[in-house]
Formats: sequence, C-alpha cells, structure tokens
Amino acid sequence: MRNLIRSTALAASVGLAGMAQAQDSKDITIALVPGLTTDAFYITMNRGAQAAAEALGITVNFQGAEEFDPVLQTPVLDAVIAGQPDAILIAPTDSTQMIEPLRRAHEQGIPVITVDTFIDDGKYQDGAGDGDFPMAYIASDNIGGGRMAARFMAEEIGGTGKVYVSNVRPGISTTDQREEGFMAEMAENYPDIEVLQTQYNENDASLAASQFNAVLARHPEIAGVFGANLFSALGAANGVEGAGKMDDVTVIAFDAPTSIVDNIESGLVDAAIAQHPAEIGYFGVMSAYALLTGQSVPVSIGTGFTVLNADNVGDEAIAKFIYSE
Amino acid sequence: MTNQRKGASLAKSLLNIWSWLFLFLILAFFEIYAQIETGNTFVFRVYNLQSIAVAASQILLLALGLTLVIVAGHIDLSIGFTTGLAAVVMALVIRWIGPDSGWLAVILAMGVGIFAAVIVGLVNGWLVAHLNVPSFIGTLGTYGIARGAALIVAGGATVSIRSDAARAFGNGDILGFPVPVVVAVLLSLLFHYLLTHTKFGVHVYALGASRASVERAGVDVQKLLIALFVLSAVTAGVGGLIYTGRFSAGAANAGEPILLYAVAAVFIGGASLTGGQGTVMGTVIGATIIAVIQFGLVFSGLPPYWQFVAVGLVIIVAVLVDQSKDKLTGGRT
Amino acid sequence: MSVLLEAKGLKKRFGGNEAVSDVSFTVHEGECVVLAGDNGAGKSTVIKMISGVHTPTEGQVFFNGELLTGKTPEGVRSAGIETIYQDLSLADNLDPGLNLYLGREKMRRVLGIPVLDRAAMRRDAAEVMKSLGIEVPDPAAPVRDLSGGQRQAIAIARAIHWQAKLVIMDEPTAALGVPEQREVMALIGRLKAKGVGIILISHNLPDIFAAADRIIVLARGVVGGERRPSETNDEEIVRLMMGASV
Repeated sequence: MRNLIRSTALAASVGLAGMAQAQDSKDITIALVPGLTTDAFYITMNRGAQAAAEALGITVNFQGAEEFDPVLQTPVLDAVIAGQPDAILIAPTDSTQMIEPLRRAHEQGIPVITVDTFIDDGKYQDGAGDGDFPMAYIASDNIGGGRMAARFMAEEIGGTGKVYVSNVRPGISTTDQREEGFMAEMAENYPDIEVLQTQYNENDASLAASQFNAVLARHPEIAGVFGANLFSALGAANGVEGAGKMDDVTVIAFDAPTSIVDNIESGLVDAAIAQHPAEIGYFGVMSAYALLTGQSVPVSIGTGFTVLNADNVGDEAIAKFIYSE
Repeated sequence: MTNQRKGASLAKSLLNIWSWLFLFLILAFFEIYAQIETGNTFVFRVYNLQSIAVAASQILLLALGLTLVIVAGHIDLSIGFTTGLAAVVMALVIRWIGPDSGWLAVILAMGVGIFAAVIVGLVNGWLVAHLNVPSFIGTLGTYGIARGAALIVAGGATVSIRSDAARAFGNGDILGFPVPVVVAVLLSLLFHYLLTHTKFGVHVYALGASRASVERAGVDVQKLLIALFVLSAVTAGVGGLIYTGRFSAGAANAGEPILLYAVAAVFIGGASLTGGQGTVMGTVIGATIIAVIQFGLVFSGLPPYWQFVAVGLVIIVAVLVDQSKDKLTGGRT
Repeated sequence: MSVLLEAKGLKKRFGGNEAVSDVSFTVHEGECVVLAGDNGAGKSTVIKMISGVHTPTEGQVFFNGELLTGKTPEGVRSAGIETIYQDLSLADNLDPGLNLYLGREKMRRVLGIPVLDRAAMRRDAAEVMKSLGIEVPDPAAPVRDLSGGQRQAIAIARAIHWQAKLVIMDEPTAALGVPEQREVMALIGRLKAKGVGIILISHNLPDIFAAADRIIVLARGVVGGERRPSETNDEEIVRLMMGASV
C-alpha cells in the first residue's frame, strides 16, 4: 500500500516536474506549528497530523511556543524555516503580525498552509491582500459551530424563551465567530427566541457565574446560556446550579476537552459542540502532501462539529471527538 | 491652627468613610434603577445579595493577603497564578486519589494545594527580604513561574474532578450562608485582627511608613517580609481551593483575571500606592463595590463594552481620592 | 559627675582610607558633648563605632567602665545608649504611643485573646512627652500631623522611656525651623537635667554654643581641639574645624 502511494506520488511529481521537485515521499518533512504546544486542542490536531503522516510514510514535526503569542511564535517559526521543511502547517497567532514572518518561508519556496487560525483575511490565492500567499486554510467553521449551538439550544428550550451568550472578550476571532453564528441562526430561524446582551467574562468562571446570577435576577425566565468556551460555560453552569435552575436553564458549551465529559455527565453542562481538531491536522497534512506531489488543493477546507450530550458522551464512537491531553 | 487641625481631621474622617459612602451610593443607584425599570427591589433580595457576596468573596480572597503586602509598601503580582497553582494542585490530588474522594481526601488535597501556594510565598519573601529584589519585579517573576508550574502540573489543560465533597465545599452553605462567603468572612476577621490588634500589624504599618523605623526598633524585617508574602500566597491559595470546589475544575489561569480586581479592591478600600495605609475593612468594601458594579451593570442591561468602562472609571476615581487624601491631610512628608 | 563613656584611641580604616586616625574623649553623666567638624571630618564614623555599627580598627569604647566595643548595635542599645538619627526613625502613620513602644508593644487580653493596649501606650507617651514639656494635642493622631519639634520629642521620649543613659543625636536641628530648633535645644536641657549624657553631632555654630558643655572639634580624623563654650568663640571653632594647628 505504502509502496503504491509512493510510486503514484513519484509518478505525479515526475509528471509535474515544473511545479514540484521530484521527491521520494520518505524524505518529505512537514512542520506543524501550533498556536501553543500545551493546549489539548492542538495536541489533538497533532494526533490527526501524525495519523496522516503515518499513512503517507512521511514525517511531521510538531514544534511551537508554550503560549499563544506572535512574539513567541515568530522565533519558533524562524527556526523551523531554517530547518528547510518541505511545507509548513501553522496556526498563526495573529492575523497581521504573522504575515511577514510567514512570507520569509514563502520566499524560500516553502509552501505555507494555515490551520485553525489564518493570516490576513483568511482568503488566499485570490490576488488580494498582503497575506495572500498561503496555499490553503483548514479550520472548523466557527460560524457554523455557533449556528449548530443555536439550533441545538432552540430544540432544547422548545423554540421560545430568552437566552444569552457568555463569551470571553471581544476580539478573539474564533469565539467572536461562534457568537456571530449563534446570533445569526437565532435571528433567521427562531423569531420566538430573544437573545439578550452578550456577557464578557475575561475567561474568569467566577465572573461568568456572577453574570449569570445578575441576568437571572433581571430575567427570571431565562431559558439558556451558550458558553463560547469552556470557562464561560462552566461559570454560567455554576450560576445555574447555585440558583437551583439546572432543570430550567440549558447550558451549551463549545469545545470538548476531557473535562467536558465530567461536566456533561454531572449535568452541569447540557451539551458541548466539539470541533474536530484531529480532522484539521489530518487534512492539513494531506493537503500539504497533495501540493508537494503536484496536486492542487482547495484554498479553504471547513471541518465539522459533533454535538456531545448526556445521551452520547459515553459512546465509543464519540470518544474520538474528545480532545486528548 | 486648631481650626485648621479640626478641618483636617473632619476631612480625614470623611475620607475614612468615603468607601462606605461610595458603596451606599452605588447600591442606591441600582435600587432606584431597579424600582423604576422593573418595579422590583435590587438590594432587598436574598438571591442578589448572595450572588454579590459570592463574587466579592472570590475577589476578596486574593485581596486579603495583598492588603497586608500593600500596607507594608510592597506589591504581590504573583497571586494571580498562585490561585491557579493551588486550584490545579488540589484538583490533581483529588483526581489522583480517585473519583469518589470523600472529605478526608478533599481536605488532604486542600492541604497540598496550600502547600504549593506557600512555596510561592516563600520564594517571594526570600527574593524581597534577602536578595532585595523590588517586590514588583520579584513577584512579576514568580507570577510567570507560578503560571508555568500550574500549566506544567496540569499538562496545559483544565483538570476536571468529580467529587461531591469538593463540590459541597465550593457550592454548599453553612447556616444558609454560601461556604465561599463564610470562608472569606472568617479570613477577613482574622486578617482584621492581625492588622489592627497585634504587634505584627503595627510592624506592617511601620514598615510601610519607614523601613528604618522597624529595623531600628529591633524587629526582624526579613522575617516580617517573608511572613507577609506567605500570608498573601495563602489567601490567594484558598481562593484557588474555592475555585476548584465551585467549578469542579482546577485551572491554571483561575486567578489571573481576578488579580486586577483584587489590586483595585485594596486601593478602593483606601490603601496607598506608597504603603503605610489601608485596612482590611476597606478592602472588604472595595471587593464588594466591584462585585456590586459587575452584578448591577449586567442586571441593568448596559452593553458589555460599557461595563469595562465603568469598572475602569471606579478604579480611577478610587486612586484620585487616594491622592487627594494625602493632599488634604498634609501628605506624608 | 562620674564618667559615663570613654573613647580611647579610636581608629577606623576603610581599605586604604583612614576615616578616623586617633580620637579619644569622655562624656560625663548629664553632660552634653558636641562633636563638631566639617563634612568628612570623621564625626559619623566615630558615632558608628560607639553605636556598634562599625568595629574600630584600633582603640576601645568603655561605657560605665565596661568594654562596649565588640557589641552589636542591639547590644549597645540594651546597654543604655540610644541613637537618634536625622530621619528620627519614626513611623509617620502611627500614633506617638505606638512609636514609643515600636518593637516592644504593650499587650492586654480581651476574652483571652492578646490585643494591643493602644490606650495604655498613648497614655505613657503623653506622660513622657509631658515630662519633656510637650503637650501632644491629639494622642491618637499619627505623628506625621505633629510639628518637627514634637516629632523630635517623640524620638527623645523613646530614649528616655527605655532608660537610655546616653543619647547620641545626629544633627537634630538640621531640618527644622528656628522656633523648633529652640524647642529641641530646650529638650536637650531637660535630658541633661535627668542625668542623661548626650553626644550631639552638629556643624551649626549657634546650636553648638547653645547646647554644649564641651566642644570636641574633629578635623581630618583627629581631635583638633577641645574647648568649653565659655573659653572660646565662633572664630576659633571654625579655625579648628578647618584643621589649623592649635
């Protein structure tokens, strides 16, 4: 099997020698630079990337900074470029600040693919913008995820009532998009659901809890909260529990670290929208391989979501969507 | 001369109660708003008061030890992540013991969590007392170290636990009062006693006014400083334990967003940036003011961006009053 | 009056620099000895060799006939020598009572719990201050509200209260206005009346003549001359301070 892939790859690259240099797939090395190395989301992404690497018989190196910060990511990227990988998969930590560091890779002929986050406007190869050079952007469709949360919420609360979004802080592209999708879906399809003011908690569960309490004090009939990340959801859930409203208020979380299983099983959180980071990693590597072997790839790939709730969280088939640590 | 003195002391006693006054005004504002807009009371509802008290307790636990440090003329920035470290360590111990951890296991886990916090406090104290590192710089360093340590032991993730005992600790009540509030009140009483009724408290104030005064009085300033930073780490650590109990999860960044509110609470409560001033009661009111504002602004449905502005304004007003306090009473020099 | 303190052949070398070469003098009970001299004459170094901050390279200090040299600053204090520094070492935010007792606070028990006995400390402070002829307007007010002279009085009261037999004062009037300087001079007079010996460091001529029983002029690390105020005048003291030979 591996031999077959190798020989077809060889054939493809020979056939398109003008576009890509002939390479033996065994020698292909791809660098995966995550937003931060310690986060379960990126660790899971790497798991998917390694699975693809194994299938293709190539090497994927996972190298990044310990914090989500362009100042820390740039030197790591420079070192990666110095190692002359065949392609770079990266989750850029800033959409503008990372353009120039990545251009250095592009200018040395190393193809760049962004995963999870993007540079410039996220629309590549359309001739517009400074950061137009990456070959593809592979990520969850966070707006779609927000819509999915809205649909699930609407179903849970019976299509009517008051809900609000508990969010981290404005300016984070992913959580902003989740909120945007949630709001849009509610506005378009659920006229009987009133979405209240969004509450920002600075990733402090204690503040998120206090905010839920205050919203409840003002709107005793509140029916649901969408937590745009784990702490937003956990904080709101704590407020719900403290008010003895666990049966009346639906809490939906975004993301699925291992702890979410406990939270769903204990009933604190009613459901979680899980991204598919492994899928992002897998298709990232596949896209890079396709490029290196002379194929063309779509400039944008949106990966899917899975809703985890009390009914399915114990299933084996679902376990793969829980981020590994 | 006497008139001037009378005027000054009148101004001073007004300033001593200004934070009470401020709290009262804010509560009155939200009460009037609630009466007009919703026809309901804001202040006289147990649920509202309880919610505000729990939120204030979480801020207060970081601010209590910090009050002592600030009165002594220092600062402790590391508490933001000392809280996270204690929270993560407690969660890990509970997880390690097993899913059905009883009270004994939870108490053991709390002990280990506080122990981790004490280590941070000892390092802070040693840096400031023995190596003469300015506390701002030294604790900024341990801020990073505690953060890294918390992330490392947690493996970069949130450590979730399933323990009824831990959950009861964070969410239960004692005689109708939520546990976090009871813990915060008891610690506040203890710290009030320490600061106003013991030799230790006098030395803390004196240290904030003039290091030479305490040194020449034969007090071991190095020991004093170490004790201060350990106390600060311990209250922040207790904040972490409560956090883990409340949310059934230990997170490295549990205290980070609260750090700024804790610092603000101490200054709103009448402490001075230059040290030598501040009281535990003031800090309690400062934390309450912040919690009331956070709760009240959400209650009133103000757009969220304005909430940032409002909290910022309160902090500035607090510092302005602090400065004019020095001017009105003749300053410190 | 008997000899309280005797400094014999004090010498202090810092590396290659000899700050003090040869200084000997005595202080009697109830006597005020002024150490006069220009900046760098060695006044502070001599003081620090007495208070235990520096150990002399050569020479000894005796107090009440006992060897003092070699004791720590703490030991020197408990032997009965109190040093009042220019900054007074007061905690400005505390009341006179707490400043008086700083490090040795009085406690009482309420329901078995030890608490500070603020009232008693305030009372004692007011009493000691009164014996120095100073009425504290508000004993509960922090000392930053007091005048410079009153603050000096608290520092002196601390020495008296802890039964110092010798008080070393470093430029006590340097930061004060004229009326307050007078207040301090009067305080020195009352200390002397209580039999306390005083070493006063100063280069302010009016002060020197107002306070001194004896003037010891230091110049370039040695005693340039010793005079009683009645036997000398401004001009001669200045000349001695400049280091002219006798």
